[in-house]
Amino acid sequence: MSGKLFLKNQLPVILVNLSGMLSLVLFLTANGNPASVRLLVVVVWIAVIILYFTILYFTEKRHLCKLLEMAEQLEEKYLLPEVMEIPERADEDVFYRILKMAEKSMLEKIGGVQRERKEYKEYIEQWIHEVKTPITAMKLLCENNNFPFAREMLAELENVNRFTEQALYYARSEHTEKDYLIREIRLGDVVHSAIADNKYLLRKNNVVIVADNVNHSVYTDDKWVRFILNQIISNAVKYRTEKPVFRFFTAKGNGQILLSAEDNGMGISENDLPRIFEKGFTGQNGRMIQSSTGIGLYLCKRLCDKLGIGLTAYSEGKGTTITLSFHINDFVSEVQG
Amino acid sequence: MNEYRIMIAEDDFTIQAQLKTLLSGNGYEVSAVADFSNVIGQVKSFLPHLILLDIKLPGNSGFDICSQIRTFSDMPIIFVTSSNTDMDELNSIMLGGDAFITKPYNTAILLAKIAALLRRAYNLRQAEVLTWNRAALHLESSSLEYNRQKASLTKNELKILYYLFKNAGKICTRNDIVDFLWDSQLYIDDNALSVNMTRIRGKLEAIGLTGFIKTKHRQGYTL
Repeated sequence: MSGKLFLKNQLPVILVNLSGMLSLVLFLTANGNPASVRLLVVVVWIAVIILYFTILYFTEKRHLCKLLEMAEQLEEKYLLPEVMEIPERADEDVFYRILKMAEKSMLEKIGGVQRERKEYKEYIEQWIHEVKTPITAMKLLCENNNFPFAREMLAELENVNRFTEQALYYARSEHTEKDYLIREIRLGDVVHSAIADNKYLLRKNNVVIVADNVNHSVYTDDKWVRFILNQIISNAVKYRTEKPVFRFFTAKGNGQILLSAEDNGMGISENDLPRIFEKGFTGQNGRMIQSSTGIGLYLCKRLCDKLGIGLTAYSEGKGTTITLSFHINDFVSEVQG
Repeated sequence: MNEYRIMIAEDDFTIQAQLKTLLSGNGYEVSAVADFSNVIGQVKSFLPHLILLDIKLPGNSGFDICSQIRTFSDMPIIFVTSSNTDMDELNSIMLGGDAFITKPYNTAILLAKIAALLRRAYNLRQAEVLTWNRAALHLESSSLEYNRQKASLTKNELKILYYLFKNAGKICTRNDIVDFLWDSQLYIDDNALSVNMTRIRGKLEAIGLTGFIKTKHRQGYTL
């Protein structure tokens, strides 16, 4: 609270007092009082006024500072009326009622937005489950009936499925804690199922797969890791060069189990490397390939953060290695015996 | 081949029909649930060895049906669903489901799972020896026997021969063979298949089997 502004606001009071003082001095002069008496009256009056303003200023200031501090500490500022004292002054009471009104309309708005968001999320999840039925039907139709472009269709269906999964996991990535089933999984199994998910895509592009050296087990949720591997495989196919070779391998060290996916594709430039996990970042490679969205790796990073998995990328000129690092949790294995 | 009965509880007609084709093509006797108001009655009259159960069904959910089946039978139950939430997976395990497969599934994985569950539940032993034209393929020892002579095989060679023996008499395209190998988690490409074929033929000739595998030009191989 600025003192200058305070005094300016008190100007009417000061003026009233000054005119009162003036009239009293004139009245005392007319009645023939000596100058010493008039001076005394004026001095006492001014002293009383200064004392009054000082006390008023400091109590007001303390009161308002407390309020300000309270508002600053509050995370949801609009909830201030819930925590502040109910004021007793007439003007403050009006402001308090205004604050209350603002709070109420804010809460209603937030409630509405949250409800809409939730409904939309539920709709997305439901839609994805529904669209999986026709995808499954198409897949079965293609696999059962050997027509000329069945394999092309199957590769495209794998893409469709991956994109739908991406939407599902995007919708879910906010609340991973609700959808979590941690158990011991063999990394080999996840890698093999991720490869199976992309079988026709990989075969179509004549990708050589090497996955002999994947043999560690970790405690995590397999469907999330499978989703992440699917995104990595699809990237590796997208940014492949001639004679693509993908290599999967695991290693143990430093209290961690590392699962790496290495390709011999176009690689990531040094400038782009630190930013590839950012949302919407497509970089140099993205400018060359139209279908880059900058969502896949961002989502992988986000899920990894939630699951406590480390995600790093390494690239030097040619080829890229993406590594997932899982903490070895002794506690879990001890509990399980 | 094997007269195992499988019941399909799936409300999408296309999937139902295609699953029927797939499973009967693999030697199973298949029946699909037609009336979802009385699934249990149909299960009791068909008495399948295994049931493929969708969770979201008209009328009773797959979970209800599963717990009802468990009151009178231990048959393997595979949950097939498009919703892959952990709640559903947990429920399916708690209620006595044997496997949980999410749509869209890989047919090879589905068939493998069915075969494995049937084998476990009914103590079925996998045929360990396949024979064709007096040549015997031993799966256990990974070798081929002819005229009391044996040739040992690598993992890839065994799988290739297994596929040819299974489809003996039919033409197997190179694509089909590679597909089968990929489904068996052996990721070899077209070139590697040629290399393997040459090696297999060399081994066969060494034990006196010449011309056992015939090449059909531009089509594939046949026994």
